[in-house]
Amino acid sequence: MTATVINTTETRDERHVTVFVDRCAGCQECVIRCPAGALSMEPVTWTAIANDAACVGCRQCERTCPFSAIVVEGPLAVSERFDPPLHQPVELRGNVDETRRGYDTWEEAIAEANRCLACPDPTCMRGCPAHNDIPQFVAAVRDHDLERAHAILRRTTVIPDICSRVCNQSAQCEGACTWSLAGGVPVAVGRLERFIADHAAVPAPAIATASEPLSVGIIGSGPAGIGAAWDLIEAGATVTVYEKDDTAGGLPIWGMPDFTLPDEVASRPWRQLTEAGVDLRLNTPIPAESIDQLLTIHDAVVVAHGAGVPIRLPVPGADLAGVVDATMFLKGAKAAMMPGGDAAALRAELGIGSQRGARVLVLGAGNTAMDVARMARRLGLEATCVDWLDERFALARPDELAEARHEGVEVRFLRTLTALEGDGRVARAQLAHTVQPDRAKQPTVLKTTPDVLDVDLVVMAMGYRLDGTFKEALPTLPIKKRHVGMAHGKWTASGILKNPASAYNHHSPVGALALDREVGLWAAALPQRERVWVAGDALTGPATVVEAMAQGRRAARSILDAHPARPDRGADFRADHETRVLIAYASAGGTTAALSQTIADGLGIAGARVTLKPVDQVGAKELAAADVLVLGTWVEGLVLAKVRPAKAMREWLAKVPNLGGKPVATFCTFGVNPRGAGDELRDRVIAAGGVVVTSEVFGPHDRGEDARLHPTKPEAFANRIAARVLTRVAAVVA
Amino acid sequence: MAVQTEVPAEGRTDVSPGAHLIDPIAVAIRTRRPEEPSLERFSATDPSRGLDVARHPLVAKILHDRKLQFLLILPNQIIFWLVIGIGLLGTVIPGLNFATAITWYLWFALVFVMMVVVGRAWCAMCPFGGFGEWVQRHAFWKRKDSSIGLGLKMPEQVAQYGFLISVGAFLLLTWIEEFFNIAGPGNPASTSFMVLGIVGSALVFFLVFERRTFCRYVCPLTALIGTVGTMGSVAGFRTRDREVCQSCETKDCMRGDADGYGCPWYTWPGSSDSNSACGLCTECYKACPSDNVGLFVQKPLTSVVAPSRRRADVAWSIALLFGLVVYQQLNALTVFTNFDTWLNNHTFFPHYPDPISYLGIIVAVAVVLAGFAWVFEKSFARADYTPALSGRSFVDRTSTFRAYFLPLMYGIIPVVGADYFARQLPKFFQHLPRVPVAVGHLFGFGSTHSSLYNASLISSNGGIIAVQVGVMAAGTLAAMWTSWRIAGRDLAPVGGNKRVVQISAASFALAIGVATAVLYVLMNAAD
Repeated sequence: MTATVINTTETRDERHVTVFVDRCAGCQECVIRCPAGALSMEPVTWTAIANDAACVGCRQCERTCPFSAIVVEGPLAVSERFDPPLHQPVELRGNVDETRRGYDTWEEAIAEANRCLACPDPTCMRGCPAHNDIPQFVAAVRDHDLERAHAILRRTTVIPDICSRVCNQSAQCEGACTWSLAGGVPVAVGRLERFIADHAAVPAPAIATASEPLSVGIIGSGPAGIGAAWDLIEAGATVTVYEKDDTAGGLPIWGMPDFTLPDEVASRPWRQLTEAGVDLRLNTPIPAESIDQLLTIHDAVVVAHGAGVPIRLPVPGADLAGVVDATMFLKGAKAAMMPGGDAAALRAELGIGSQRGARVLVLGAGNTAMDVARMARRLGLEATCVDWLDERFALARPDELAEARHEGVEVRFLRTLTALEGDGRVARAQLAHTVQPDRAKQPTVLKTTPDVLDVDLVVMAMGYRLDGTFKEALPTLPIKKRHVGMAHGKWTASGILKNPASAYNHHSPVGALALDREVGLWAAALPQRERVWVAGDALTGPATVVEAMAQGRRAARSILDAHPARPDRGADFRADHETRVLIAYASAGGTTAALSQTIADGLGIAGARVTLKPVDQVGAKELAAADVLVLGTWVEGLVLAKVRPAKAMREWLAKVPNLGGKPVATFCTFGVNPRGAGDELRDRVIAAGGVVVTSEVFGPHDRGEDARLHPTKPEAFANRIAARVLTRVAAVVA
Repeated sequence: MAVQTEVPAEGRTDVSPGAHLIDPIAVAIRTRRPEEPSLERFSATDPSRGLDVARHPLVAKILHDRKLQFLLILPNQIIFWLVIGIGLLGTVIPGLNFATAITWYLWFALVFVMMVVVGRAWCAMCPFGGFGEWVQRHAFWKRKDSSIGLGLKMPEQVAQYGFLISVGAFLLLTWIEEFFNIAGPGNPASTSFMVLGIVGSALVFFLVFERRTFCRYVCPLTALIGTVGTMGSVAGFRTRDREVCQSCETKDCMRGDADGYGCPWYTWPGSSDSNSACGLCTECYKACPSDNVGLFVQKPLTSVVAPSRRRADVAWSIALLFGLVVYQQLNALTVFTNFDTWLNNHTFFPHYPDPISYLGIIVAVAVVLAGFAWVFEKSFARADYTPALSGRSFVDRTSTFRAYFLPLMYGIIPVVGADYFARQLPKFFQHLPRVPVAVGHLFGFGSTHSSLYNASLISSNGGIIAVQVGVMAAGTLAAMWTSWRIAGRDLAPVGGNKRVVQISAASFALAIGVATAVLYVLMNAAD
């Protein structure tokens, strides 16, 4: 334990908070978020006032003040972070012991837990893709209460032991830690999570007493499949998982070496899931065309097959012997390193025999490449990684990169492979120089003389991509995981989006990354086809273990909420499920909004649970909570020219996530003549993946306020929706 | 606002319907409970709910339209670029040139009318700030997520002086205007250069600083509008329910959202107690996710009397601005002309206005006003009176002197407003008919020989003086009323008999009102 506590009495006087009184509007955004309670309101001017003695210098107030009316000067009042030294084996060859260590003692863990400020608006939680309640589980560690810590973690994750080992915390929770955003060293959130998982067993699934009459098939047993299966089995659903490999677990099992993620840890979720009753079918590949077949036997299908197709660089000589991909190398190496494995046989298979000093060239310098190179070192090979990125923008975890170098891996940034040469077998690699001045810009290849490297083996480890065959069955995939437009106000208010100053995470804009991850999370809650949910890398393309797990859970929760049913479902279908209807409208003068209300009333009488929202307030979250969608818009244009659905509705439909076969009813309101607006709206809905069940247009005389006959046209429209959608549910029940 | 969550005892998550839609972040936010302002803090300044004109659907629709401010600014933008062009290229006869006629005969008077009646109406349509804002936002009306420029904040060392920066700019601009006889009106090109200078300065500030830093701190007119405009009957955009604002988790009105920019004026509807810093730009109204912002009207003078937070920058601005308008009255007197000439001869300054007399008179008037406050303090303050603890910057420092000076200056705002308005009247009455002539001249009609050119709304000096004195009488009466009310609430608790203090404060307002009215008689309708 080397942690030292800063003498706060010495530095306390150096911190000074200045409130710009002229600009302070008294909104108290700083007061309610200050972790130290150093801010209060000055009653005369009703502006914020700071107690410098209580300030810890975290600058949360600076980041959250809407008018930038507060400045903090002085050092951070936080003790030094304690990171246990790496486990570095004297003899690397054949040694796959875990290199990173967790905290061994309570004293170490509590000292670190004490660095946490328990921020009232915790940015770390937004940075975590699973949104673990970090301040709470850290507090539980402080209280010596691992059971409570696990209970808190369980709300958001089912693989804390895996995530704490493989997550790149510097781009997630730790990068978003308030200390990190203030330019300091963050709380070791990952190590504290690992401490909990290592010192008290991760609880097995707690199966609900009341069973859920729901059968779900999950394609893939990786982190997304684990997340989905866990929540579904806990809810009492019948879960069948189809795994193409002979071992369950996906990439963490076959792609992550034991020195990063011990097999014992990686296999833990499946031990517990199979004991809990998940029907795991190994060696059962499900081709894309078989999804329809699965839908006949399951009420819902979760596609979570990952993105496991290795990317190969199409350079001259790529087809020479001695050029392999990361999957093949890692699977072989992992098996060879297992007790009873045969490293010599692997070397022979790779064509490098037993020669010492054989050099493997690893293409890429991301985390997969680091795994390959470090595994190669353990096989007794010299390893060189090349990446065309600048090291400042490296994709690998900083600590992973440092560990690889420490183990003798040579990493050359700003180099790219242009050709492989050899007589039948690869012997040389030409590495051109590149330049990348900016993170956002792709590197440029320079025309200088390339480096020539003698190599015995080349492993292409630039990452993975989706299996193209699934693209035909699910053409909307992968989704673009990029947040468009302005962030939600709560994200802005938390201060996470302020450009972080920390060198700890290479000054990466962790808030923007976190917002992008939200897109994937909410997309997982939406079916991509009727009764088909997609999660993990299959949804977004290659991403992280924690994102996949969180998306799997989100998909499972969405399924549990949507109560999908296969066509021949029997009488066990839950009759008490209310159909959830979302009416989204674009209204200019209030007419469409008023008609939407009329339709909502009609559907409510018919037994639906109706939500009414302006269309610009409807996002993935709202769509995920709807079984049926009703879209209403006013018609814009000048009688003859450009008569069409309102711009707000058109723009919304252009950017809406795939509607995944959701039933949609559409209506337009017009003043003179709707012309083709109704048809255009239908076409746009179909293009967005919706199934139009009925559509209507309402003119000035159809609004029904003064109608003598009932149902009025809008009421009849509501009845028609109810008949076509709600009775479908009723028929299934019958 | 604080949300506390309990960990499920069994460690399992809630699997009830809709549970998957519960955002785990939201339930883990444990922000502190905001402090409640005292009941009386805002009660006096909160407009009645019935005075919210934005409740009318048509008004609401107009206010929600992002093009609204653009359409308000556009006509003025066109006019003032015409002013620049025509001032440089048009006729050199000031009365016939569109630039000088529209600027000095009509616009300046209109600005004062809008100021007194509405508040910051001009700011909502101002082409100078509008131009800078268009460039800064790189949009005419659309909500963009990015802006052009450095986006710096006004440093606190400067910002703490609030409106005094603007007063400095106004004094400088007025001196330049007097020196070059721009508003005389003199050479029309001078008016063009002056307008160009304002537009250019605004643009520089908009590109260097964020939001409407220029309008809030630097614009030469912002102090005048921010002080005299408090007489206006538009309270600005205010909260409909303060509790909703206080518990709002996003404060979109301040930070901005997809529908509106964060307040460019650094004003929060949730704490706004006056119309002084509301630019009527409608952004907070558009951005509010709870539809909790309204556009309120109020009784005239409410924003003078009601605010409980009295700001030193406002008080000193009133004193200095009063000094300036008194200077502009004095400079029409022969005795002053002789004095200024004498001073120029002895200070080797080329011509009127000598900067020493200019600044000397302005400061002297402000000091005299401060002297009155000092007399009040010495006459009435309780021996055991202790000012409230405060004082982190110039704006909110407290002292016994300030306890008198600030309320007294707020009280005389109507006199200052009336004085500025009355000062514009001679030009308005004597030359307003020249505006249509100047417009016609652009199209080949109208000349100095036209009867309209030589016409006046009020031709006799006596008539103009009567109106000026009438305006001053109205302003003085209003000031006596505001001083009475303010003295009763703010000065009486500091010491002295309440009625005596009120009578003294009202008498003070009466005295300076009468003094300025007398000056108008002596000026004999000089413009």
